[in-house]
Amino acid sequence: MTMERSLKQFEEDRKQAARIAARLLLASGTTSPRVGGVGECTIHIIDDECDIEDLCQQIESMADENKGWGFFKRDAAMLRDADAVLVVTSLRSLTDPSDINCNMCGKLTCEYMRKSERLPREQGIAFTGPLCTFRADNIAYAVDGIVSLARNLGIDYGVYWSAGAAAMRMRILPRDTGFALAVAISVTEKSPFRDIPLKYDEKNERTMNDRIIKRLWPQFRSIYS
Amino acid sequence: MQRREMDDLLLGGLDRAVELMAVAAHNSFRFGGKNTIKIVTASKDDMQEIAEYCLSLGDMSPLGARDGRHLIELMKEPVALMIIGDKRRSHFNYNCGACGYRSCAEMNAAEEVESLTANGPSCQFRNINLNMAANSAAAMAWRLGLHCRMFSSFAFAAKAMEIIEDVDIVVSVSVSVAKRDPYFDRHKYWTQEHWDEIFDKEFPTFKRGFIGAIEE
Repeated sequence: MTMERSLKQFEEDRKQAARIAARLLLASGTTSPRVGGVGECTIHIIDDECDIEDLCQQIESMADENKGWGFFKRDAAMLRDADAVLVVTSLRSLTDPSDINCNMCGKLTCEYMRKSERLPREQGIAFTGPLCTFRADNIAYAVDGIVSLARNLGIDYGVYWSAGAAAMRMRILPRDTGFALAVAISVTEKSPFRDIPLKYDEKNERTMNDRIIKRLWPQFRSIYS
Repeated sequence: MQRREMDDLLLGGLDRAVELMAVAAHNSFRFGGKNTIKIVTASKDDMQEIAEYCLSLGDMSPLGARDGRHLIELMKEPVALMIIGDKRRSHFNYNCGACGYRSCAEMNAAEEVESLTANGPSCQFRNINLNMAANSAAAMAWRLGLHCRMFSSFAFAAKAMEIIEDVDIVVSVSVSVAKRDPYFDRHKYWTQEHWDEIFDKEFPTFKRGFIGAIEE
């Protein structure tokens, strides 16, 4: 029996809704406040399933680099169910401190901050700080701008720093990106970002299907056909 | 229901709005599920103190002084100032490197550098949680139709004056029910001469024939 046409239409429209929502959320994130009224953030939409999969694989590959990143695999399992991922970047936090000497970074003046040695780009390091904390705070406004509209639109969302770090590692973000966070969105009946078991990377809908159906079905078909 | 005058309604609405903003800030998204922010609203006397502190910065911080002049103007109509703060040390164990230390333990053990504006070094994710709360408050104000702007300067002053205590990093959200939006296009706080002087100093090439040439 073939899938009903109306069901296929629903599936297509659902994905289209997520794509449209992603762009509206981008608008809300872009117009949210910026410290000092100076723009420096970009927002990048990843809504192709293959691109999301690439991102998830990068997140998984980073999980063992640092003992604090064990949850990356679980994040990847959740992000695989996302319809789109919005990655928010801060382009000035790494190279261009805000010159207000706020001391949030602990360097007292921005001049000291400029001269301080950055962490190297190597395994186990996600962001090569120290960053201009004041600038990087812009990401909080952009992410909350996205979250705020997502709630209004009734779009399920999850916020992940692992995906931001992975996107930076994949070099798919602007060159000057110092800090990045990601918001994953989904238009499904049950949010893939809530009610998540602790070992979700091992036991999720995909792996359960793999074990029960996808593994047995080919053999069953081969024998009984 | 009793008859109420417009001024009374506006003041009541502003009070309710600030309470709803606090709820929105308190319930906003948090990394690591850590809700440790502190929220206070400034009284009229507090705002007066903040304005005077900003003004006293004078030439040391012209923008701070400008904001001091601005706050004095703001206070002539119904206005509220919400200050949100948090501690600086990491309790996430993300070891992300954004603070410049390889691990959260290393950052937490680093010597604290105190200043009037903020105590550092601070965890980037604590900053993100704090500022997402602030943005949620601002988003609520926006939805409620209030005039709204976020200020670092007022928050720094509030920390320095100990209007908000026991915090290391701060941010503030000001809301108003003034007759027109008082927060943007603040031309009146600069004289044209001052503006021209600063512009010429900051962008010396603007009037030159080509970059590098100086016409005497």
